[in-house]
Amino acid sequence: MVRIKNRYLLVNFLYPTATLKPSDPLSTLPATIQFQQPTDDRLTPQIITRMIRNGVEELFGDYGGGMVNASISVKYFSPATSTAILKIARAHYRLVWAALSYVTRLPKPVDKEVVVRVVRVSGTIRKAEEEAIKRAKVAMLKARKDGDVLGELGLDGGLWGRELEKEEVGGIEDEEANVDEDEEEDEDSDMG
Amino acid sequence: MFYDLNVLWSPKDNDLPRTLAFLDELGYNVVALTHTLSGKPPADLSCPIPTTLPFPVPPKLKVLRRCTLVLDDHKSNHRIAALSPNYDIVALRPTSEITLQQACHSLDCDIISVDLTVRLDYYFKFKMLSVALQRGVRFEICYAPGVVAIDASARANLIGNTTQLLRATRGRGLIISSEARRALGCRGPWDVVNLLTVWGLPQEKGREAIDNEARSVVATAAMKRTSFRGAVDIIYGGERQKPKTATEPGKDKKRKAEDDGSVTKTESQQGLTRNQARKQAKSSAKSSRPQQMLKTSQLPTLEGAQTQTDGKPSC
Repeated sequence: MVRIKNRYLLVNFLYPTATLKPSDPLSTLPATIQFQQPTDDRLTPQIITRMIRNGVEELFGDYGGGMVNASISVKYFSPATSTAILKIARAHYRLVWAALSYVTRLPKPVDKEVVVRVVRVSGTIRKAEEEAIKRAKVAMLKARKDGDVLGELGLDGGLWGRELEKEEVGGIEDEEANVDEDEEEDEDSDMG
Repeated sequence: MFYDLNVLWSPKDNDLPRTLAFLDELGYNVVALTHTLSGKPPADLSCPIPTTLPFPVPPKLKVLRRCTLVLDDHKSNHRIAALSPNYDIVALRPTSEITLQQACHSLDCDIISVDLTVRLDYYFKFKMLSVALQRGVRFEICYAPGVVAIDASARANLIGNTTQLLRATRGRGLIISSEARRALGCRGPWDVVNLLTVWGLPQEKGREAIDNEARSVVATAAMKRTSFRGAVDIIYGGERQKPKTATEPGKDKKRKAEDDGSVTKTESQQGLTRNQARKQAKSSAKSSRPQQMLKTSQLPTLEGAQTQTDGKPSC
């Protein structure tokens, strides 16, 4: 038996435009945190799927729509980290990816300017998951490193005790270096 | 290393810090801010972009200054020679076939960037473009105008013209950049490579276009400006050694022994002393001293040349 070959795209939603007023204390947060801010809860997997279908049909017409519509689905979506995993048939994942690159705005209930970045293309969902976890960790540490503004604002909370930070910083910094290497290798091999 | 060699710059742009931060977030390492000159070039050709930007730039991001000169008229003198020392990169934007031909054949520039979002009334010809490619000039594809375009025709033109350009250049000597006015127009390097793959450029060539080719543009542009005839550049000129040899030629041997590796040290020392002994036996000490000076003064340039060939892009 031959399996149906799929591709899993790990996707990040980034928010490049400043939405906060200058008077808002949160607007002083480092840019990295602002770009990777949580997504609006009103955005559901269904809306994402519809957005992609419309995008593909706009770019590639009925042909593209026909090729993609049957196989596309959102496997995972986390508004907190603005991350999603999409599943597409292997033959047509580039159409979906191109359509994602053309997205500039989230659809109606949210209606916000967005840049979609594909961070990982994988043949199995497990690898995509692992990458998502890795990236979330790295992003969190980077944000913490970028500025201790969170602490000043009192948003630090009890979640991140000092001990945890001490333990994890060393190990994960090493990982950070690995992530970049991994990503390059995998992108090369997967997309070939 | 990823390059985005076209980010539009304007004097009162409040979004620029955000755009640069966003490019850094997307994974770009080198970014060029573009100042566009159109119409008649002004009398003062100095670069309006400050060398150190008035806001904090992400630490790992290298910012270059680029000038895009719009070529409307093929007869006017564009004064590129006066323009190029003020910028890191000079790009030309021909608007007609005649100016494109001029840019390909004669004008001294680093990048030729045709506006691909309009309908062009001519075809790209391989013969014409290959002249430019042989001179080391690259062609640029800017994706942002297509991404943020409101009307579908600009997007369609961009795709159509890009495929024409890919056909005419056979996928060689291309660079991809954004030409983004705001952060919204920028896309991650791999997203851009995928976009070009859909448009017909093989993936590895797309990767080269955003990485190696762009790097070679930056490197050759820097070579043109700083080096001797664009061939030899002194990266480390041995600044410490020079004044000593100039002022105290007597201490020459001792200094060499300290600086050089062990093999070269013994060889050169022995060779020198033997040479000297012979020459001193043959002629007076007068003639031997200048020769010795020459040898040591050649060292730094050789060193520089070697490192340069190592770092030279494959073009």
